[in-house]
Amino acid sequence: MKKLLLMTALGLSVAFAGSVAPVNNALYQKECASCHFGYQPALLNKASWEKVMTNLSDHFGTDASLGKVESEQILNYLVTNAGSGKITANNTTTQITKSPYFIKEHRKITPNLIEQKEVGSLANCMACHTTADKGSYSERAIVIPNYGRWE
Amino acid sequence: MKKTLCFILLALTLSHAKEFNAPMKAYMEGLNAEAKATNPNFTGFDAKRGEALFFSKHTGKKGTEMSCVTCHSNDLKKGGQNINTNKPITALAPSVNATRLTDVAEVEKWLRRNFNDVFAREGTALEKGDVLTYIINQ
Repeated sequence: MKKLLLMTALGLSVAFAGSVAPVNNALYQKECASCHFGYQPALLNKASWEKVMTNLSDHFGTDASLGKVESEQILNYLVTNAGSGKITANNTTTQITKSPYFIKEHRKITPNLIEQKEVGSLANCMACHTTADKGSYSERAIVIPNYGRWE
Repeated sequence: MKKTLCFILLALTLSHAKEFNAPMKAYMEGLNAEAKATNPNFTGFDAKRGEALFFSKHTGKKGTEMSCVTCHSNDLKKGGQNINTNKPITALAPSVNATRLTDVAEVEKWLRRNFNDVFAREGTALEKGDVLTYIINQ
């Protein structure tokens, strides 16, 4: 019983420390993460992913078009694992960085830290979140280039 | 005589060229037929023309001036970097990256995307054949 409580507490603390399920789809990893960080499906809601996937030929200004089969498989993976709750709440855009929760979490990051060449933009998760590829955005794992640990 | 000389020169060029695998050869033949159908005077793909195309600057899909080199760097044996996301791109030259130009579906996908990004239109059969002939020899 004690163990179960501990596990539950641990589970809850991880959930609140900014963790999402890691990417576990090889096709998504290959097709999407060849150009940018492989954003976990939980970072956008179902409606946002549907919007993203219907307009891949103009994907934030670049052509990221896919074949029909690949596109359908990836859409299926994304909507099945799409986010809900605080991470995606009130985000009607196709950009993770436009989510009110995301904006709140990054409000103290000054423009010079974002614009420096090692980072470039807030869309470059791995530049500071050293364990982002594992789905962990924990504050303990943040190391900002030319600044150091955030915590 | 002129014809014989032409053949010898062609044979010499080909013997120096890196080989495409069978599916890629079939794809190149398709491009070849398409280029010939468009221009009856077409005599074959040319690495030099492909190189010029690779380095040429255009107003891209985003409205800014760019070339293939913008992301792939001007040394194909070295990797490049995605101009929008900073994500590294592995080397294009098959001599250092054996997986390049081996998968027809991948080649078609990236030619479609990258011509659109750099030229704001799809590539012609001539352009695609030339640029692949340039890259395979790198």
